[in-house]
Amino acid sequence: MQLAHRPTEGWADHSSPGSIVLDTRDLSKVYGRGKQRFEAVQQVSLTLHQGEVLAFLGPNGAGKTTTIKMIAGLVRPTQGQVTVAGEDPHRQPRALRHIGAVLEGNRNLYWRLTPEENLEYFGVLRQVPRKLAHRRGLELLARFGLEDKRQTPVQKLSRGMQQKVAIAVALIHNPRLLLLDEPTLGLDVEASAMVKALVRQIAQEGRAVLLTTHQLDVAEELSDRVAIIRRGRIIAEQSTEALLREFSSSTYHLEVEDDLSPQQIQTVTQLGATVEGRQITYAGPPEHLYALLGALNPLPLVSVQRDRADLTQVFLKLVNDHPDTSL
Amino acid sequence: MIDLLHAELKRTWIQFIRYPTEVISGVVIILAVFYGLFASAQYMAGPGFAFGDRLDAVVLGYALWTLIISVNNDIAINLQIEAETGTLEQVFLSPFGAPRVFLARAFASLALRLLILIVVLLLLMGISGSRLAFPPILLLPLVSLLLAGYGLAFLMGAAALVFKRVQQVLGIFQFLLLFLLAAPLEESTGPMQILRFLLPMLPSTGLLRYLMARGLELDWLTYALALLNGMVYFALGLLVFRWAEATAKQRGSLSGY
Repeated sequence: MQLAHRPTEGWADHSSPGSIVLDTRDLSKVYGRGKQRFEAVQQVSLTLHQGEVLAFLGPNGAGKTTTIKMIAGLVRPTQGQVTVAGEDPHRQPRALRHIGAVLEGNRNLYWRLTPEENLEYFGVLRQVPRKLAHRRGLELLARFGLEDKRQTPVQKLSRGMQQKVAIAVALIHNPRLLLLDEPTLGLDVEASAMVKALVRQIAQEGRAVLLTTHQLDVAEELSDRVAIIRRGRIIAEQSTEALLREFSSSTYHLEVEDDLSPQQIQTVTQLGATVEGRQITYAGPPEHLYALLGALNPLPLVSVQRDRADLTQVFLKLVNDHPDTSL
Repeated sequence: MIDLLHAELKRTWIQFIRYPTEVISGVVIILAVFYGLFASAQYMAGPGFAFGDRLDAVVLGYALWTLIISVNNDIAINLQIEAETGTLEQVFLSPFGAPRVFLARAFASLALRLLILIVVLLLLMGISGSRLAFPPILLLPLVSLLLAGYGLAFLMGAAALVFKRVQQVLGIFQFLLLFLLAAPLEESTGPMQILRFLLPMLPSTGLLRYLMARGLELDWLTYALALLNGMVYFALGLLVFRWAEATAKQRGSLSGY
């Protein structure tokens, strides 16, 4: 896997770090009328800063794709506003210059064209001058390790390579916001790892990335923040780390190499821990942990571990337990 | 915009030429149809008959008919193909806006179709040993005809965006086209004389018939009206297409087919 990082002059040359790239206010989408009225998205407000990766999670039909398409100007919101780098893609077509998108389930590319031809064509379609589009296309292909495939028609490439070309195409006009709908869907382990590494690089260049995925390990690995949507409403939005911490219990599991002496068992039990052979479980106040470790002295420690929730647990808990007013 | 036009010409050409066997078989089929037409017209006219202008009219008329049919279906069919293959939404993400992109595409595909027609007609002349006259003055009504033709193409494209499955409508539409191309309303009298300037393409096809089959001079007033007819239908097509795009975005149905 070759992912040489070669920043180029004028590439990802965006304004001050941490500036707001995407701002949505109370986005709502209602389909149909009367009895067939269906509120697909309700009052979704999201903010995304430069260099930030936001994982947008939710069960099937929760409104993820509709929201992404509203941000990209492909679906008109019933209410609310989208601002990308200060411009509204629904009112100012210029705003689309700031947006790159790889949409789910779509091929996003012309299969009869080679990666090089696709990049040049889509570059011009995104208002990049032809020669610049060609040069940037070659740079992106080199960066994504696709140099030797640049003249192979896309339909003859593997699924992973096609996805890489699709991401390169989405970057050809140097957008500030990248929308990725299920970027690792249907990819094998290696291709998936490659796409993850690319997403990380793209964010490091100073672009904001909004990604949806059902693969929660991918979201946990890549995202700075998580927004979880359920039945069209955001039910949680905070930094990935804080969310995981919030859902992690403060239970510690300790393991020692030898059996505890009766005296040690007594002290440890008094501190609120339970002992099972060489395993000790402690759920008391964290500040007493050192007293517990002192009581175990001088037994050699094998491990000290704190229970940590993963994003899958958090997601399932939030999605299944959340009170739903619309029920 | 020049870059966009260039990019569309390149894309259309590459997609066409990528698999040469497909190209050759396509040209051979069209050539066979044209040659059949040419030979049967010759047979019917008889060998001793001086088949000058009349035969030109048959072959050129048929060439125009195939050109207009493909132009009319062009946008709607391509919208549908791209929605199915998944590139349509990427096209709508262009800051140029969909109408301009589809206009550039229309020019590109027209250029390709004209090129194929010219190649086929040249081959036909080579095979049959006869010559088809194409007086340059024909280009004028051809332009007004194509303007109206693309107006209708944008209308069909709009229908494809809003109503989705439009193959059946396109099929029925060909009969309407046959009427618009073949009805000799320029010979009619009374209200039809006015009506023929209101229907799409009719004044242009009438002029073409005048020039090709009857060998008459171009009537500039009629041509001005034909050009106006073409421009009005073209503008109408673009307007309705914009409306259809807004409606599809409202319904969230841009890519669904």
